[in-house]
Amino acid sequence: MGQKTFLLGNEAIARGAVEAGVQVAAAYPGTPSSEILTALSKVANDLGIYVEWSANEKVAFEVALAGSISGLRSMASMKHVGVNVAHDAVITAGYLGAKGGLVLLSADDPNAWSSQNEQDNRWIARQAYLPVLEPSDIQESKDMMRDAFELSERFKHPFMYRSVTRIGHARGDIELGSVNKERRKGNFTKDPSNLSYVPTVARKNRPLMIKRFEEIKNAVNNLPFNKLSLSDKAERGIICSGISYAYSSEALKWLNLEDKLSILKIGTTYPIPEKLVEKLLNSVQEVLIVEELEPFVELHVKALAAEKNISVKIHGKDYVPLIGELTTGLVTQAIAKFAGVKTPLDFEKINTFSNNSVNLLPTRPPILCAGCPHRASFFAIKKAAEKVARENGTVPVYPGDIGCYSLGISAPLETIDTLICMGGSIGIANGLSHIIKSPIIPCIGDSTFFHSGMPALVNAVYNNAKMTIVVLDNKTTAMTGFQNHPGTGRIATGEPTNQIKIEEVVKGCGIKFIEVVDPYNSKKTIDIMTQALHFEGPSVVILRQQCSLEAVRSSKKRGDKITPYYIDLEKCSKCDACIKVFACPAILRKINEDNSFGDYYIDSASCTGCGVCVQICPYRAIMESE
Amino acid sequence: MEVKEVNLVLAGIGGQGTILISDILGNAAIAEGLRVRGAEVLGMAQRGGSVMSLLRLGSDVLAPLPPEGKGIILAMEPSEALRNIKYLAEGGTAIINSKKVIPPAVFLGQTKYGDLKEIINRIKQVAGKVILVNALDLAEKAGTSLASNIVMLGALIASGEIPLKPDTIRQVIDRRFSGKLIEINLRAFELGLNSEHKKC
Repeated sequence: MGQKTFLLGNEAIARGAVEAGVQVAAAYPGTPSSEILTALSKVANDLGIYVEWSANEKVAFEVALAGSISGLRSMASMKHVGVNVAHDAVITAGYLGAKGGLVLLSADDPNAWSSQNEQDNRWIARQAYLPVLEPSDIQESKDMMRDAFELSERFKHPFMYRSVTRIGHARGDIELGSVNKERRKGNFTKDPSNLSYVPTVARKNRPLMIKRFEEIKNAVNNLPFNKLSLSDKAERGIICSGISYAYSSEALKWLNLEDKLSILKIGTTYPIPEKLVEKLLNSVQEVLIVEELEPFVELHVKALAAEKNISVKIHGKDYVPLIGELTTGLVTQAIAKFAGVKTPLDFEKINTFSNNSVNLLPTRPPILCAGCPHRASFFAIKKAAEKVARENGTVPVYPGDIGCYSLGISAPLETIDTLICMGGSIGIANGLSHIIKSPIIPCIGDSTFFHSGMPALVNAVYNNAKMTIVVLDNKTTAMTGFQNHPGTGRIATGEPTNQIKIEEVVKGCGIKFIEVVDPYNSKKTIDIMTQALHFEGPSVVILRQQCSLEAVRSSKKRGDKITPYYIDLEKCSKCDACIKVFACPAILRKINEDNSFGDYYIDSASCTGCGVCVQICPYRAIMESE
Repeated sequence: MEVKEVNLVLAGIGGQGTILISDILGNAAIAEGLRVRGAEVLGMAQRGGSVMSLLRLGSDVLAPLPPEGKGIILAMEPSEALRNIKYLAEGGTAIINSKKVIPPAVFLGQTKYGDLKEIINRIKQVAGKVILVNALDLAEKAGTSLASNIVMLGALIASGEIPLKPDTIRQVIDRRFSGKLIEINLRAFELGLNSEHKKC
């Protein structure tokens, strides 16, 4: 037996890649995928793996594709919406096939825990002819990743590995395997008839891709990730895809139906193992397909039943929710209904009790941290923009973007009027600027700017779209766990590299108004923002201040003392401006015996000493501690 | 060896260290040869919002999420215990840090924090046992208010709800921290382990 280790799913996935001997790994951070490349970065130098944080997911996939073309085992990892960015390259990669094993890891996010949508990337895989592997458990999440490279090489075809939040951010005891330390030497052989997609090449290679896919379709019936357990004389069967198998197994046990229903576990959800499915369909009268999000396996099973003329009643999304993630409770209810048995607990009663308790609970959404420079930025941006808007009788519009600063959506800041996708702030602003007269202020983070803000910025200059683009530069990719990016001057492994200055990029793109300001200086920021908003044509203001979590961490490391602020109660007039206008979570109020709010105070444990509240207090009641 | 299923819900607020508790427990479980599964939500949810980590022990556990109505709750904050009430088994145990954390939205008038007694009473309608721990006081006694989570870990082990030995936890704490923090956290653990729990 191998050694057991307690790992995060994403660490297990990285381990699987290491066990397979991956040599190229590229990624753009995005929840729930980020920890995969972080884990690989830690061992990259020792094991001779090339790792990189790419500027975006498309580049990441192309880097991995080049690795595969050169004969090396390669992977690109990204969150589900990242695959949209990589889509262009992904579709044609199916035509190319794979030389070195090539795995595209898509981390889907059922329930949209940290995302703008719930898209199910099995559809993208289907369009791209990429076979899909979906683990059911944390142990399998490692083993499947290891085998994915093997399979990709065996069939000379790229594979998609589809993880979900409850795989990547699950934890469990994992039995480790041995690490493949073989290091191939990559080489590039010119082969335009396979690598250069002019129309004749596309037409020549499409049938070859379909042929490879047919071979895979046959082979998946014999892969260990798919397992059919037929129960004697069972009239009903269950088909589970990926993680649904874990919920279904537990539900069957809970319902005492373990030996009464047949069950097909599917780990290759595309293409489905048709022979196994056929066998199950022929052995039962009714079947329930348990899968998260879209009825993907369901449609394929229904198509197969129709094609083979099998008379069987197929249930799926009529019993299993289409929206949100599955849980053992939800699956238990679905299977109980399907099998015509009672649930072991009254789930409705439990949920009603829980829902009826909500009125006692404060809502507690995520918020910008104490000392966050984004709060200071939004405060100043809003001050300037509202004033300028009043001059022409309009209200400012804030097209927003993806990052910590998306949290500016909450009151009292309310500076996220649209939030669609990475880079979408400047894109939306491009359209609005030709339609409305309001000041338009797209706000975008530093990492997001490099990811997909640049083309939209070029567009604004080219089409002379009047807007004030604010780059909220906190010198890291904060939301996903402080990854490096092209502006930080460090690569994935932490070593120094060329640093790309946003102001130089902006200048090179032809922007004529460029200022870099520290948002902790409110007065100056308001002043510069006002000038930028009056500028005819597109202007850029870079609000640069290190992420407060990072700043506090590095001061602690250096042994520097953080000097918190305090409120002088003799000067405080209880005007509430610090809370109503700024709402830093370090500024609090005492709670009186009768639950009313008492004196204002600053929590010295969370205050980072940024000093912005000092500039906001109209009574100068906020002071630096001695 | 057949190990009874234990479903633990660790509820709290981003920054309170629930993930650290789950990490220590998971490593302790492995050291004792137990099967362990769990899950958490990272990313967006860690910025001062409600968070929860889920940890499951037992020979048969497979899914990362426990089902509703089958668990025990360890909460770093009272309202967060009630927020996760659907996971608590009827007659199950809830161990709760009694220190309220008022979110800024309350001061902005956007939301209200209900009466604490009513919150506890509501939990008691499901729970067989509610244990309130003044973790902040004990953590400060141990050396830092930041060790409240380790105090709560001590209280959890003292409750006997989890089949892990105090010594195994001590060993994991010893490995997990370095320097002065080992001593502080071991002290916090002992204080939690021996605290006079206010059972109600």
